Amino acid sequence: MIRPDEWQVLRLTVVLAALSNLLILAPGLALAWVLARGDWRGKSVVETIVTLPLAMPPVATGLILLKLLGRRGMIGKFLHEIVHFDIAFTWRAVVIAMAVMSFPLLVRTCRTAFAQVDPRLEQIARTLGASDPRVFFTITLPLARRGVVAGSLLAFARALGEFGATIMVAGNIPGRTSTLPLAIYHLVQLGQDAQAYRMMLISILITFAAVWFGEKLVPRGKEAGP
Amino acid sequence: MKRYGLGLIFMCLVAVPLTNAAELTVFAAASLMDVLHEIGARWEQASGNKAVFNFASSSTLERQVSAGAPADVFLSADEAKMDQLAKQDLILPGTRETILSNTLVVVVRKKSLLSLTKAADIAQVSSLALAEPETVPAGIYAREYLEKIGFWDALKSKVIPTENVRAALAAVEAGNADAGIVYKTDEETSKDLKIAWEVPASEGPKISYAVAIMRATSQPELARKFLAWLSSPGAKESFRKYGFLLPGGHD
Amino acid sequence: MSLVVKVDAAWPGFRLRIDFAAEHGMTGVFGRSGAGKTSLLDVVAGIRKPLQAFVKLNGYVLTDTAGGIFVPVRRRRIGYVSQNLSLFPHLSVRRNLLYGSSDGEGGEPFSLAHVTKLLEIAPLIEREITHLSGGELQRVALARVLLSRPRLLLLDEPLANLDAGLKAKIIPFLRGIRDEFGIPTLYVSHDPMEMVALCQNVLVIERGEGWQLRTPEEMFEQRTETVYRLRGDL
Repeated sequence: MIRPDEWQVLRLTVVLAALSNLLILAPGLALAWVLARGDWRGKSVVETIVTLPLAMPPVATGLILLKLLGRRGMIGKFLHEIVHFDIAFTWRAVVIAMAVMSFPLLVRTCRTAFAQVDPRLEQIARTLGASDPRVFFTITLPLARRGVVAGSLLAFARALGEFGATIMVAGNIPGRTSTLPLAIYHLVQLGQDAQAYRMMLISILITFAAVWFGEKLVPRGKEAGP
Repeated sequence: MKRYGLGLIFMCLVAVPLTNAAELTVFAAASLMDVLHEIGARWEQASGNKAVFNFASSSTLERQVSAGAPADVFLSADEAKMDQLAKQDLILPGTRETILSNTLVVVVRKKSLLSLTKAADIAQVSSLALAEPETVPAGIYAREYLEKIGFWDALKSKVIPTENVRAALAAVEAGNADAGIVYKTDEETSKDLKIAWEVPASEGPKISYAVAIMRATSQPELARKFLAWLSSPGAKESFRKYGFLLPGGHD
Repeated sequence: MSLVVKVDAAWPGFRLRIDFAAEHGMTGVFGRSGAGKTSLLDVVAGIRKPLQAFVKLNGYVLTDTAGGIFVPVRRRRIGYVSQNLSLFPHLSVRRNLLYGSSDGEGGEPFSLAHVTKLLEIAPLIEREITHLSGGELQRVALARVLLSRPRLLLLDEPLANLDAGLKAKIIPFLRGIRDEFGIPTLYVSHDPMEMVALCQNVLVIERGEGWQLRTPEEMFEQRTETVYRLRGDL
């Protein structure tokens, strides 16, 4: 039913999206909690920076990434010359582009989820001697479970569909960086409509699967709060 | 939640090698798509070696190679892109050749009532699909021709620029443009179009496809074998079949 | 025990000025809702950090804004039963009880067995928090703080949401805690009867200002709006 080259594109897309999801999970949750609870100097600056990839045109973000990570870029040059390690136009760039573009969604959704957990519960946990990490893992996270999974899924779906930044910093190289959205675009550009439609169907199917699976993971009825 | 995390990790582990070193990566101009698929398949049958193609406009490919994309071989639809790579010292010395030429044609849909009996009639169209006339070889060739016959200024505002020449073809097929200027070899892959006007060799721009092995390749020997295969009689026959012109027999 | 609290703080629409010292047993904190009682407890627990505050417990300085000292909440060993109990809804009764004490083997009288027996909640240990009645929840909350072996107890309106019958049942538990564990306690309530029943001395807070009384009975002699209301004079 699915041809080998299509299967390769699908697998590449899903695996890289999962990798990017894992990458942003810890820093995303940590940042979301700190933003939900704290009140500190520079907080609004951080909030703005985190929201940027969401508001800016994806290709602009991609261009920034290219400037940094390409062989002639600040970071890329060092990596290429000293460690013989390339980022741009490899799968690593795809993961980074996906991570950067989906990060704001994860942070924002989780922040809302954490904010909805009664802060009193966290404070009482502290009076009982719990350190901040313990409060987070035993109280906040479990009670915000649904929101966190939802945020993670949203980020995953965003990564699956990421196009603008990816095509800038990773290009569309078959077998290496050719993700589903890039492949669809490319096929249309080459006039191969029939194949593009097949890829489009695959795209719809995996998104559907991702969302459906997400609903199954967290059964309804366990809400946050006291 | 634990299940979700495990699921993610599982998906990552399924990432059996994402790259395959035994294959040759060939970046090639979009107009070569059909013919190279055939030539590549024959090569695999004959030698067991596989060529993985990345088709796009030569300008896009040049940009990718400049930025470090891992191409072993590059096939460009004009010499200019190859020159740019040569300037950056990205080409393996001694491997560059000119291998093909082509012809420009003006295409319209089969059912179109547009009739072009002479070059000047081109000015009648209300929309003209071209590959990006500033950067993509097919578009540059088309623009040079139109400039030469003095109709570029009149047609400039009617141009629908596309990412590569095949997209221009698709635009005319879909009815999004009245006419388009593409390679003769592209028209032959299409069932719904006809040639309204063929640009005579003497009047058209000099179209020249270049090929070279990239300096950064990790498989120079395999790349040489592929280049040799491109000059083999079997490959030449494929090129001719699709309507390409071979150096020596043209110009 | 000795507890010294000096607070001079202002939040939007509210001021709190307290200066008191408590020496023994259970000290009542009396006042109307919104007078500042919960805020006072929050400051003592370290949950609130006003610009100017001083809290010293048994000779240890917990908060001293002038001297730049602030002991983090988790190190204060202060047991806090808030008004809405703040029991953890996603944990069982057992895990709630043991949250502040890893094994419940704190040695008498702080062992799980003893505390659950005293508060008559032993049969409830394996249940889910969401399946308990109001009175049961109250006792679980009390048990939880006791098991964490606090140096000071802060009880915020522990009987507020209970009917008279239930109150009458729990007051003996509170007395039992007071007598058996001997942990100094700040007991917040707007009900003077509870004060008289349980506390040795009382701090009255009216609109953010506090002053101490020598005996709980003095509450009824205060010329404050609160007391007038109580006596039905208003």
